[in-house]
Amino acid sequence: MTSILSVRGLTKHFRGRAGLFREPPPPVRAVDGIDLDVPEGGTLGLVGESGCGKSTTGRLVLRLIEADHGSILFAGEDVRAADAARLRALRRRMQIVFQDPFGSLDPRMTVREILEEPFLIHRIGDAAERGRRVRRLLDAVGLAAHHAARHPHQFSGGQRQRIGLARALALDPALIVADEPVSALDVSVQAQVLNLMKDLQRERRLSMLFISHNLAVVRHMADEVAVMYLGVVVEQAPRETLFAAPLHPYTRALLSAVPDPGGEKRARVVLRGEIPSPSAPPSGCRFRTRCPLAEPRCAETVPALRAVAPGHRVACHLA
Amino acid sequence: MLRYTIGRLVSAIPVLLVVSLVAFAIIALVPGDMASEMAGPSATAEELQRLRVQLGLDVRGLTVRFGPWAVVEDVSFAVAPGEVLAIVGESGCGKSMTALALTRLVPEPGRISGAVLFEGRDLLTLGEREMRQVRGDRIAMIFQEPMTSLNPVFTVGHQIAEALTWHAAMSAAAARAEAARLLSLVEIPNAAERLSAYPHEFSGGMRQRVMIAMALACRPALLIADEPTTALDATVQAQIIDLLRRLRAELGMAVILITHDLGVVSDFADRVAVMYAARVVETAPAEALFAAPRHPYTEGLLASLPRLDTTAERLASIPGQVPPPFALPPGCRFAPRCAHAKAPCEAGLPPLLPAGDARAAACIRLTDYAVAS
Repeated sequence: MTSILSVRGLTKHFRGRAGLFREPPPPVRAVDGIDLDVPEGGTLGLVGESGCGKSTTGRLVLRLIEADHGSILFAGEDVRAADAARLRALRRRMQIVFQDPFGSLDPRMTVREILEEPFLIHRIGDAAERGRRVRRLLDAVGLAAHHAARHPHQFSGGQRQRIGLARALALDPALIVADEPVSALDVSVQAQVLNLMKDLQRERRLSMLFISHNLAVVRHMADEVAVMYLGVVVEQAPRETLFAAPLHPYTRALLSAVPDPGGEKRARVVLRGEIPSPSAPPSGCRFRTRCPLAEPRCAETVPALRAVAPGHRVACHLA
Repeated sequence: MLRYTIGRLVSAIPVLLVVSLVAFAIIALVPGDMASEMAGPSATAEELQRLRVQLGLDVRGLTVRFGPWAVVEDVSFAVAPGEVLAIVGESGCGKSMTALALTRLVPEPGRISGAVLFEGRDLLTLGEREMRQVRGDRIAMIFQEPMTSLNPVFTVGHQIAEALTWHAAMSAAAARAEAARLLSLVEIPNAAERLSAYPHEFSGGMRQRVMIAMALACRPALLIADEPTTALDATVQAQIIDLLRRLRAELGMAVILITHDLGVVSDFADRVAVMYAARVVETAPAEALFAAPRHPYTEGLLASLPRLDTTAERLASIPGQVPPPFALPPGCRFAPRCAHAKAPCEAGLPPLLPAGDARAAACIRLTDYAVAS
């Protein structure tokens, strides 16, 4: 499968400011040299716990924040090299959906104004044409035409996420970066939104970078899955492989930590401690401080992300 | 003048003692105290206390109203000593308000009715002072975001010790030693040193451990945990649930777990009460509930969860959303979203009826289920 988005060596360190009498704090190594490929028409799931850098990765890809190093190729075009005009054109084709649709929708605007805005910014159609497009968008995400006159606060969480999706779809993008799109929703509504996202993806041949901390949701949505820990990708594999035969001890622990209601009881790997600070990651393998299998060499050399089977890569000395 | 005042006070002591003894006797003999009734007049204080503990928690017809709207309606359940009951439901179903009502912490202008029989007494009839003794002493609570329950300007050791000096009347030194013991009980490394740390110096998981340590300070018989792991990462959540499971076994306390996460429920709970639109719609032993839900809402909730062990092209979703308390549909509140709804469903609220082994469900199709199983 060809990839629509290829990321190589992507790095972002957030630097704190030095005070008058204070040295600058060590940089937060949010994303530290990661490679990712989003398959065309498919979904790459990016999974990890808080602070692992998955959301930063999503924003770097769209250049909502600027990367320090690395390359981002979208449909063959270098995103990092694009000037302002080129970037605007690129952003028509790459859109983002956030976790909290209320925080990303202007409370003073009606749904019609929210959905019309992308067309106005990109000077598409006259008023009548824009009206038609807004109605089509509402229809596509399962909202009624009369919803256009309402404000965001008049909608439930699930409906607001539908509005967020409609806005992302307005300019007919090729890639959607979905950052925890259903994490704020109740399960019955979450299922509605996930089904809608899958339908839209099929109808519009959308590619998706699906970022979530929820393994079950990622399993449902993604074709390929990358697991992040402290700014690096520790394992990447096709969905079935990753969930059936995870190789990295962190992936295994993460999978075993999620209770599966009604499913088989699995042997639990309970990790020691919590995620270390990304401004002072452990030497060698970053997971070693919590790894049940850690050996002395894990503290010395950084394990490379190497292929162990076609499409299955893992960064562990012991895998 | 001062001597005179002291003298008057001292001479008043015997009178005060007699008055308080009489008051105590009256309180102990009010008909609301089931334990003393059951134990009879010859029971010793110890026997009485043991009997009280055995009674556990029995909630009957609990209702919380804000003006004309009930956010908790006719909720009944029982929790035996050492049992873990999970109250599950989606946001707005009334599960957190139920937890607050148990300890009478419902915000104004909420009104609580029904009965909360705890260790033989109806908590809803207790005076504010007695209630304060029950809270913290016999019933402790932990919440989703520990940072909002911890005071940022006091050290963690100070805050745990405060609970001990208040409720257990310990000396400052003894309270500090006990606080250190509690912190190591909840597996906080270097507990004695961490006593002098402030809440912001702890990570989210460690703060939740501190909250649990504070909750355990007075050895409560019942711990109410409202979404205790919702703000935590999966690997840390697993640690906290393991900790709660261990403490429950070691200390024998009952737990009411309020959560929307069915995974956590299946991992930890003995019994489950499923709430929908302010009412309990199903209650069952946890394993039985997950194996064969009897209420269509429970069934829908379980089916709408993405699974880790199988891949489905589409998720079964429940159409629509939870109705707010001011716009409830007539009859069964789940009927507008229910795939099985028929005309009779709108006729009236279905009562919670027995549905097999130690379980009950509020659905008029219950007879069909009974036939099917």
